[in-house]
Amino acid sequence: MSRRLVSSSVDWPAIILTSQASLSRLVSRLRYPMRTIFTRKSTTVFDQHQDDSGHQNTLSSQLTSTTTHQPMALELTNVRRSFGKTQALRGISLQVESGQRLALLGPNGAGKTTLVRAICGRLRIDEGEITLFGKSVSKASTLDELGVVPQDLAIYSDLTTIENLRAFGRLHGLSGKSLSTRVDWALEWIGLADRKHHLTKSFSGGMKRRVNIACGVLHRPKVLVLDEPTVGVDPQSRHRIFEMLGELSATGTTIVLTTHHLDEAQSQCDRIVIIDHGQVIADGGISDLIDHTIGSERQVYLRIEGFLTASIPNLEWDPSRELFVAAINDPAEELPGLLHRIRTCGGNVVDIEMHQPNLHDVFIHLTGRELRE
Amino acid sequence: MIRTIIHISFLRLWHNKAELLLTFIVPILFFSIFAWIFGSRGSNGATPQLKVVACDEVNSNVTARTIELLEASGSLRFHLGEASKSASPKTVSRDVAESLVRRGLVSAAIVFIASPAASNENATESLAPAQQSLQTQTPAVEVMADSFDQVASQVIVAFVQKASMTAQAEKAQEDAAESLRSQQQASQNRQFNDLKFNDVNRAQAIATADRIDPTANAIAISPSLQSAVSAGPLASLAPPNIMVVDVLGTNKSNPIVAMYAAGIAVMFLLFSATTASGAILEERENSTLERLLCSRMTMDHLLMGKWCYLVLIGCLQTTLMFTAGALFFGLNLWGHFDGFAVMTVVTAGAAASFALMMAAMCKTRTQLGWVSTILILSMSALGGSMVPRYLMSETIQSVGQLTFNAWALDGYNKIFWRELPLTELTRELGVLVTCSFVFIVLARIFAMRWDRA
Repeated sequence: MSRRLVSSSVDWPAIILTSQASLSRLVSRLRYPMRTIFTRKSTTVFDQHQDDSGHQNTLSSQLTSTTTHQPMALELTNVRRSFGKTQALRGISLQVESGQRLALLGPNGAGKTTLVRAICGRLRIDEGEITLFGKSVSKASTLDELGVVPQDLAIYSDLTTIENLRAFGRLHGLSGKSLSTRVDWALEWIGLADRKHHLTKSFSGGMKRRVNIACGVLHRPKVLVLDEPTVGVDPQSRHRIFEMLGELSATGTTIVLTTHHLDEAQSQCDRIVIIDHGQVIADGGISDLIDHTIGSERQVYLRIEGFLTASIPNLEWDPSRELFVAAINDPAEELPGLLHRIRTCGGNVVDIEMHQPNLHDVFIHLTGRELRE
Repeated sequence: MIRTIIHISFLRLWHNKAELLLTFIVPILFFSIFAWIFGSRGSNGATPQLKVVACDEVNSNVTARTIELLEASGSLRFHLGEASKSASPKTVSRDVAESLVRRGLVSAAIVFIASPAASNENATESLAPAQQSLQTQTPAVEVMADSFDQVASQVIVAFVQKASMTAQAEKAQEDAAESLRSQQQASQNRQFNDLKFNDVNRAQAIATADRIDPTANAIAISPSLQSAVSAGPLASLAPPNIMVVDVLGTNKSNPIVAMYAAGIAVMFLLFSATTASGAILEERENSTLERLLCSRMTMDHLLMGKWCYLVLIGCLQTTLMFTAGALFFGLNLWGHFDGFAVMTVVTAGAAASFALMMAAMCKTRTQLGWVSTILILSMSALGGSMVPRYLMSETIQSVGQLTFNAWALDGYNKIFWRELPLTELTRELGVLVTCSFVFIVLARIFAMRWDRA
């Protein structure tokens, strides 16, 4: 009751039109549709060192933004939180620009959910500060700036789609005409306008997920935090959900999502942050991460018949896959020469498999193969 | 295959501690609670003391003695009404007595009224003087009963009958002895007068008079008394004329409905409120609560919103139930609607607070279901929703006062059964409002764990 009610008076169409970041991102996406796109110039510095537990190497990054005049959409400074003797967050610092799409990755128990709850203002932090557009998230005035989509289906399954949307819209301060407008928009946006009077418990997992997301964005939040928004849904629904998030992003909404689908994070987000043991161990665009961890060289796996009479440079035996492997930067340039050398040495290449380094490799490289919680 | 299914079922039972508890411990717990509530009544062989008040319009020795004997019986506790506790005899006027019964402060009023036999001279003139005297001592008793307690009036009638007969017997013995003494004295006087004229035999006559058998003299002096005395004093005793008057139930079309409607209503109010309050645990389990608290809503808003909803539902539920009682069983709802409305809102408020406190205390909906079921059934049993409290021992009745069921039932009974004005509900309303406040504060304290961690 003590919270002060703050009415949102943000002119969203103006934001849509004036958002340089969004426009540039859209242009970039047209040029490089399947690659990570940066709307800013980032200089990522990786320092490899042992963490205080001596567990593994960590990478810290410092991003230098070209657009630092406005307050960051989301800024975390040395955020620490412990539960008893367990340090869940150990000095996490992040800066997320307005309109950015950030994927928060990490193995189970790394501290992702704790971090998300702290960002949402639902968890007190022992140390540090979390701000949303320069205002502390503990203040009521940030509530309307933030949209939350929990991992669970946090909707009322015994209400219809439209009833759910209206209820959550009201909770975020919408009423009257604006509520009706936003509910109508949301129904179209999630493609459930024809099912608006159906109980959500009768929906498929993908449909429920879409309603779940819609309930979090009705009030036009500037920052949307999604905790594994595509868990348990089929590829079609997942595709639709990311289309929806793309539309939001195009309007300037900052998106922070956690996911275990690394391919989604790689293809749908501008920036990847990997956390483990409560610390940020990698932060940057996918190409930066690859370059600074496992390198950008492609792995060429070869099945060779016959005996090689001599050793070939850059060609090694991979006992785990029982294949020869070679690392090459430019397949068009280097692969013909490699195949020629194998033939010359008496080998007969019967199969070739080329692997481009991806986020999965980076993730495993950084967090290890040990099973977690 | 069947063996595997049995094995799996046992394993699941073993791993599900709640179900294990439910299967083996809860029945024993329930049995113990109910055995304690109803078994303690007969454990010391004592009948709970019945609160009564006496009104003596006769003011005879017999009625006074009857009241003394009733007090001495130990099974009745006399209410003094407006009189001082040291007042003796402990009697009040008829109006006060009736008022006490109507207000439920006593189970019955024992009113000694002038015997109809005393005023009916024709009926007594054929009797001997001593018998007439005894007959006029036979009191007529009116027991003004509250038929809410259907046992009390019968018990009280039995006690009054016994005490009255005993008092009459004592009085008859005293009267007979007194009569004999006076007759004997009269006989002796006559003999002495006769001897006065016979100087020769005076000394012998005196000696003879000293050896007179009193019974022989009595027979000789009073033949009518002879028969009475020879049969003993109890031969002339008559049982008291006892009339039981139901001061509360006679003008009601269906008194049983009025009695039990409240009991059932309060119990179901609690059950429905706790079931509905479980939604908050469901919201917590599926992260809806997290989402709600990320909006403009605070925990205070949430609890108050749910409290208001539960109160509204409770009022609606109770109103529907009483309306059904009015339509199908002749319950006089509309005649007491003001009291009913006040009592229902306050009771629903207390039930809603209790339900939210339970929900805030429990971790899961399953846990809430079990804990609340045990508590509500126990409270309902102790508070009189299942069995009237007058059937319980005094100790259990006192313990029952700790449940708000008892207060709610008392309130409803005052409205529908005793037809008392709203001003008489102050205590019940006060207790329920306090319960409501305390429970909701506790609910808020327990819900702090869902606040910002």
